[in-house]
Amino acid sequence: MFRKLYLLYGAMVLSTAAFGQYRGWSLDTVNQLRNVPKSVRDNPGSYRSVYSGYHHYTGGK
Amino acid sequence: MSQTVANCPNCGAKIVFRWSSSVQTVCEYCKSILVRSDVDLKKVGQVADLPPDSSPIQINTEGQYGNKAFVVVGRILYEYDQGGWNEWHIMMNDGASAWLSDAQSEYALSSSLKASDLPAAAAVQVGQQFTWNNQRYTVSVVTPAHYRGVEGELPFQYWDKTKVTFVDLRTASRKFATLDYSDPEPALYLGEFVEFDDLKLKNLRSFEGW
Amino acid sequence: MSVGTPPPSGPSQVQPRALNCPKCGAAITLHSFGQAVTVVCASCRSILDAQDPNLAILQQFEAATHDVKPLIPLGTRGKLRGTDYEVTGFQRRSTQIDGITYDWHEYVLFNPYKGIRYLSEYHGHWNDISICKTLPTADFSGANYLGETYKHFQSADANTDFVLGEFPWQVRVGEKAAVSDYVHPPRVLSSEKLDKEVTWSIGEYMYGREIWDSFKLSGEPPEALGVYENQPSPVTINVTGMWVAFAAFAVLLLALMAVFDMRAKKEPVLQETYQFNGADLKSEPSFVSDEFALDGGTSTVQVKTSAPVDNHWIYVNYALINQDTGQAWDFGREVSYYHGYDSDGSWSEGSRTDSVVIPSVPAGRYYLRIEPEVDPSLRSTPYSVTVIRDVPVFGIYGIAFLALLVPVVIISFRAYTFERSRWSESDHPPMELSSLSNSSGDDE
Repeated sequence: MFRKLYLLYGAMVLSTAAFGQYRGWSLDTVNQLRNVPKSVRDNPGSYRSVYSGYHHYTGGK
Repeated sequence: MSQTVANCPNCGAKIVFRWSSSVQTVCEYCKSILVRSDVDLKKVGQVADLPPDSSPIQINTEGQYGNKAFVVVGRILYEYDQGGWNEWHIMMNDGASAWLSDAQSEYALSSSLKASDLPAAAAVQVGQQFTWNNQRYTVSVVTPAHYRGVEGELPFQYWDKTKVTFVDLRTASRKFATLDYSDPEPALYLGEFVEFDDLKLKNLRSFEGW
Repeated sequence: MSVGTPPPSGPSQVQPRALNCPKCGAAITLHSFGQAVTVVCASCRSILDAQDPNLAILQQFEAATHDVKPLIPLGTRGKLRGTDYEVTGFQRRSTQIDGITYDWHEYVLFNPYKGIRYLSEYHGHWNDISICKTLPTADFSGANYLGETYKHFQSADANTDFVLGEFPWQVRVGEKAAVSDYVHPPRVLSSEKLDKEVTWSIGEYMYGREIWDSFKLSGEPPEALGVYENQPSPVTINVTGMWVAFAAFAVLLLALMAVFDMRAKKEPVLQETYQFNGADLKSEPSFVSDEFALDGGTSTVQVKTSAPVDNHWIYVNYALINQDTGQAWDFGREVSYYHGYDSDGSWSEGSRTDSVVIPSVPAGRYYLRIEPEVDPSLRSTPYSVTVIRDVPVFGIYGIAFLALLVPVVIISFRAYTFERSRWSESDHPPMELSSLSNSSGDDE
């Protein structure tokens, strides 16, 4: 009984992994934005990301 | 398998022999033990009242063993220290005679086998092994029993025995063997244990409350 | 039948025998008809010879402690294996192991056609037992019966402490039998030696709920405590089968990895080296890359940043922007590398290259908006940016592998602890427990 459940579960895990590869899933988290105006190409300074992308690095030894 | 009809020499009641090879029978009415010769029926003894027993099998019970049908025609009752058991004499539909034993509702079917070099009762020990018909049997228990009574048709003369020794031999399967020391010459029976349901018994005794 | 002769007194319906106890006169009925060898008079605690018409007294006993009440009252009927049985006898037996007394109950069940069976109960665990017709073979480690192998579980002496009802053998209170149990869950093979006679019986585990339903008893069955010798494992018995399935899945996963790795185009669409000049603080640090096309379907996009830093850092803010739809992916990546030498030896931290994989980027025309930041103590550095389309993501396989592994490990562990629990009560307890448990070792 457990064996059957596991076989079903394993098939689901593998299909999900295959589907993810096919659809281009990734483990990294990246913020998505919409409606970036075309003017950014000419004036890159006008682009401001919404999130804390302006994280100023404070690490290092 | 023609039935022979005769009259009881003691009380005149009608006696029916269902089995052509029957040697002995018991008159149902007067309980006389009758032995059959070519010529007539002779009374040789009397059966005391049988003890109240609870075998569900009775004379005229029908059943099946493998693909053969059988009918119960007689019995011998034995007693030992753990109680009693019945050896029912059955007639197969091909005329052969066999024994259906009922010991505390453990059922077994066996037939006699002619064999030589059977050991004397005193020589038998638990654990000893014998081989008959290419099957190995191990002695499991030696039972001193005594004869308690007879009923119906038997293939030999059997009554008023006192002490009788039986030796049970078992195997790793359902097969078993019995050495019967009722007579000076030991007799061998080979058989197997059977399940109640497999015998498809009909015309059994009824039990109050069951 | 001839006319005029009396009808034969053939066997009629079998009646239960009703008698009176020779000691105290109490009424006794033999419910197992002729199969009772001994019967107990409950009123005066005498064991009587049931085969003797006078019911000779065989033994008188005192109930050792308080009266024991059978959980299934005598006279109750229940269906087992499709046949109705009546409870006709009951006994309490006990054994002593390492100074501790364990007791259990046994019930005698009767059917006039099928004969006698037994039920045993210990701490809520039940067994449906019958006498073996064919002989098992056994040695000190195991036994064989009807083609199955049984492992030796326990050998002990069983005392009969208390009896009620009818028995198909010469029962006596105080009798001691040498009992050995061999198990092959859910079955148990038992040999019992009493006065030189050995009887083998085969039992099958039953749950209290099944017994209660079968005998239509009210209330709840006693709770099952611990793991009983032949209790079937509620976790899969086939743990090996699960590992085999896992191995098969692992192989499939590797195949999947290979297939997708081959299938991935890994097309570089942008490869540039830029220069950051820290001195140029007043001018706008952000800029855009050349346009590039992502052809094909939705896929991953890998952005690699590398810089030859040495005990410095750079941080690059990226936005991957779709020229036509205005969709953007915004992220920042750090490249830093530090190294040195201290009392423990040389050390290093970080890396000169960074990689990030952006998920599910649709096809289209794109450019990168780049805004670098550099460690103030490093005023200028070159850095290169590489964008590659359609790369495989191995982390997903890692997650899948764990997802496949975890249930098998959990189930294996549960089966393992269940079996340890089972064997901790035996003559062969698992190694580490033998110093803690009070089951004896081999000096029983």
